[in-house]
Amino acid sequence: MASTISAGRYVGQAVKRLEDPRLLSGHGRYVDDVQLPGMLHVAFVRSNVARGTIVSIDTSAALALPGVRAIYTGADLNPRVGMFWHTMMGPPPELGGQTPYAPLTPLAGGDVRFVGDPIVLIIAENRYIAEDAADLVEVEIDVQQAIVGWETAIDTDQRVHPGTTTNVGQEFPLPEGPEVDALFAGAPHVFTRRFSQCRATNVPMEPRGIIVHYDQYVGDLQIWAATQSVSEWKATSSRLTGVPEHRVKVVANDVGGGFGQKMMMTRDEAAVVMAAHLFGEAPIKWTEDRRESLMAANQGREEIIDVTFAVTDEGVLLGAKVFFWEDIGAYPASAGSTAGMAGAVFPGPYKFPVVLPGGSSVYTNTVGKAAYRGPWMMETVAREQMMDHIAYELGIDPIEIRRRNVIHADDLPYTTCTTMVYDSVTPSETLEQALEMLDVAAFRTMQADARAEGRLLGMGVAIYIEPSAVAFGILSSDQAIMRMDNSGKVIVAMSTGNHGQSLETTIPQIVAEHLGCNIEDVLLVQGNTESSPTGPGTGGSRSAVVAGGAAMNAALKMKDKIVQIAAHMLEASPDDMEVNAGVVSVKGTPAKALPFAMIAPVAYQMPEMLPPGMEMGLEVTARFQPAGQYTWSNATHVCTVEIDPETGMTKILRYIVSEDCGRMVNPMVVEGQIAGGVVQGIGGVLFENMIYDEDGNPLATTFLDYLIPTAPEVPDIEVGHIVTLAPGQTGFKGMGEGGAIAAPPCLANAIHDALRHLGVHPTAFPLGPSQLLTMMNEAKQA
Amino acid sequence: MKPSSFNYHAPTRVEEATALLAEHGDGAKVLAGGQSLVPMLSLRLASFEHLVDLNKVDGLSAIERVNGHLRVGAIVRQAVAEHSADVAASVPLLSKALPHIGHFQIRNRGTVGGSIAHADPASELPAVALALDATIEAAGPGGTRKIAAADFFVSTWQTALADDEILSAVEFPVWGPGSGFAVEELTRRHGDFALAGAVVGVQVSGDTVTKATIGLFGVGPTPLRASAAEAALLSGADAAEAGKVAASHISPVDDIHASGAYRTQVTAVIVRRAIEAALKEARS
Repeated sequence: MASTISAGRYVGQAVKRLEDPRLLSGHGRYVDDVQLPGMLHVAFVRSNVARGTIVSIDTSAALALPGVRAIYTGADLNPRVGMFWHTMMGPPPELGGQTPYAPLTPLAGGDVRFVGDPIVLIIAENRYIAEDAADLVEVEIDVQQAIVGWETAIDTDQRVHPGTTTNVGQEFPLPEGPEVDALFAGAPHVFTRRFSQCRATNVPMEPRGIIVHYDQYVGDLQIWAATQSVSEWKATSSRLTGVPEHRVKVVANDVGGGFGQKMMMTRDEAAVVMAAHLFGEAPIKWTEDRRESLMAANQGREEIIDVTFAVTDEGVLLGAKVFFWEDIGAYPASAGSTAGMAGAVFPGPYKFPVVLPGGSSVYTNTVGKAAYRGPWMMETVAREQMMDHIAYELGIDPIEIRRRNVIHADDLPYTTCTTMVYDSVTPSETLEQALEMLDVAAFRTMQADARAEGRLLGMGVAIYIEPSAVAFGILSSDQAIMRMDNSGKVIVAMSTGNHGQSLETTIPQIVAEHLGCNIEDVLLVQGNTESSPTGPGTGGSRSAVVAGGAAMNAALKMKDKIVQIAAHMLEASPDDMEVNAGVVSVKGTPAKALPFAMIAPVAYQMPEMLPPGMEMGLEVTARFQPAGQYTWSNATHVCTVEIDPETGMTKILRYIVSEDCGRMVNPMVVEGQIAGGVVQGIGGVLFENMIYDEDGNPLATTFLDYLIPTAPEVPDIEVGHIVTLAPGQTGFKGMGEGGAIAAPPCLANAIHDALRHLGVHPTAFPLGPSQLLTMMNEAKQA
Repeated sequence: MKPSSFNYHAPTRVEEATALLAEHGDGAKVLAGGQSLVPMLSLRLASFEHLVDLNKVDGLSAIERVNGHLRVGAIVRQAVAEHSADVAASVPLLSKALPHIGHFQIRNRGTVGGSIAHADPASELPAVALALDATIEAAGPGGTRKIAAADFFVSTWQTALADDEILSAVEFPVWGPGSGFAVEELTRRHGDFALAGAVVGVQVSGDTVTKATIGLFGVGPTPLRASAAEAALLSGADAAEAGKVAASHISPVDDIHASGAYRTQVTAVIVRRAIEAALKEARS
């Protein structure tokens, strides 16, 4: 049931972001803003062919250029690598782990595997000279036919990674299920579709960037980086270089977005770490430029999904088989595949009696696959479009077929056929709220009137359940280290990062709420391995849930100690104390009160005034570990579109989201996260297409060709909230990725609704004007 | 994305600028608003030993009426022309085309002359110049000469300007009463280069179209005149027929944003829409 949750003094309030004055006035501090004495600059020589053997590399002319300080090739750096793997994913099989990494080397060694593959690293006095030098390096490559496209990669006897036996990275075979086969054989209706989405890239506003200084005299490796996780980078850099981990320091100040791309260190960044370690003389900086970012930073989404649904005459789901094909490029982040997760959450908001998932991820001579906001979201893309295809096949309204299958409040707790346990989700409630916000009847009338004039309007719906705050391995918990200083101000240090999640505001909201102080007296310190605890960083819609939980627990511990000291000083019982706005007072006796600023000095300087046996100081640590492996949030998206029948241009008329992320720390931040995700989802359907030609040349390496939606293309995004608390103390559910998960199928369904009476049934992104007009032409001829 | 090094020249007189161009030949390039040239330099798609900056050259930033024409100096900013009452009154088609160029930040720096001299076939202003039979004034070491727009656009990014010439001004003819103008273009997003675009001018007397011009952009290696469609319109064809005629004479190529077949099909549509809008304005 939906319930009304009253907001606290801070939690639940749309507190303006504390970081905005700095960021919006252009005073954020990104990697490129960091200037160090004697700092040198890095440029890469990258492969301009997708596949081939390196015959020779001649750096002599480049080395002779004044201002060039060092040039390294794969032969210089790759053999020096200790280990190259990521804490979150664990070691590769040869080191006792289970993650099948691509064979990672910082620079190309012997051959190149995609256009943009880094071959040579140049260190020069400035970036201009470094790029001049890059132009002078001569690399001779014996070009081989690129392996482009997952089907080609499966069919060919050539290998993306020479010496390996297959181009398949990971394979999850479709489980054997004789009883399921029997179910399908006996089902009233069985429908099959293939859905696909084109490749997109994360496009952080700040591309990758890293400064590394190895002080060979002290033995410290100091790093400033645009990363989502300083702990991950500290550990990875230690493994790469052999510098003991406690001698590695990583700082991430403001980070201009990541969307998953900056969770794990990539080869280019590893090359800078290795080069700095070898060079030893001075700090070196690499700021990835936009062309490099579009050509060589990991990308997402290129997926093909085969779906078969068995249903009754009434559209009730009997079962599904789903197989995910993923093009993971040459060097994906971690292992690249998200099919395991996608299969597990495929049932989503519906009561599927059975789902059999499988998948295959395939290496190609293209940029590697990244985690990208909702990395497993191909399941929602396929499932939600399939619901509409089935509805139209059976002559049932797409809303009605969802109502017949959606999980209701009285089904909870609900265990899906893939063993996911939902405790407090509201797919049915959000569906109804979103439809009410639209006014479906009014839209259907408008649609019919428009169609009579030859205009094409359509509406789409998509529902999903988001597995937020995934808790396994290092992701299982977060810690808050909190200290109150002598003047009563609070510093809380966490492993989180600042790449757009507003934690500088929301964590102080939580702390101020539960400690009972003013928000301006709380500072979050993050993105710094010297002051922050080891942890997973920010990503996977986890920070509100896990970091927020740790912050709350620390605040409660701190409050407890403050209250005990104050009670002792006021000669009252701790049970009779209340805390508000940084003042501890005796309930009902406001005159008997002490501000934090008078309590804190006692803790630090006057042991005689402390309760007997109490340790001096005001420092606490607390950890939070979610009860379950997932904290489920959910939402329903509804949108309406108009398509120009003569040009295929799509205009989004309205975009509506009804969501349930539990107790909201800050509704403004929640709505900002939704809007950002929805815009990326719109991009993936209408605009963004990271396309390669058959020789593996990327064709969208500038913003002239890689089209991200801009303000005029995006409608106002209307948001409705339903609040059901997550189990556990905080009630928070993560929601950072959902906007990007549901928007693509929602928009595709609206386009489908606008065109289906013409015989157009889209299944593949992009759905740009050229694609839609072609489909309309073909339908007319058929 | 850092350009290779170049020598920067900032002359203050046209003669100095053309002398520099004459001295350095094809090693020199003219810099106006920089909205196309600077990205090409930064991407190292082009490099020049010498850049000759026109921004400090006297006498290139006037908008004036001359002999029944509107003369727009080479470095008049697109934003200035866009908000100029003289331009709106004298050459409405130019006024209507300017807001379609990129975004306002681009138009604040970009120049009218620079866009025409750059001769991108998907740009609006070359098509406007071609459609209106504008005259391009070229200044060289030996003085100035005039080039008809029809002779100016040679190929993609190629014009009739010699290496030692600068585009010093563009003269747009001023149409009389009973005229109407329209710009229609299809872009993936606001401010993008056109997938296909049309600029149309008509003059009417009663129900009769007495003058018609149609320029197309984004559908060939240069801006194109849809001469057959103009003739059809003058012979009484309706907007839809004229649109089909215009589309039947082009053969645009495929790129990642749209197929050539798409561009051809929608050209018929946007030409029709532009003619309809221009006629409506002419008759109002």
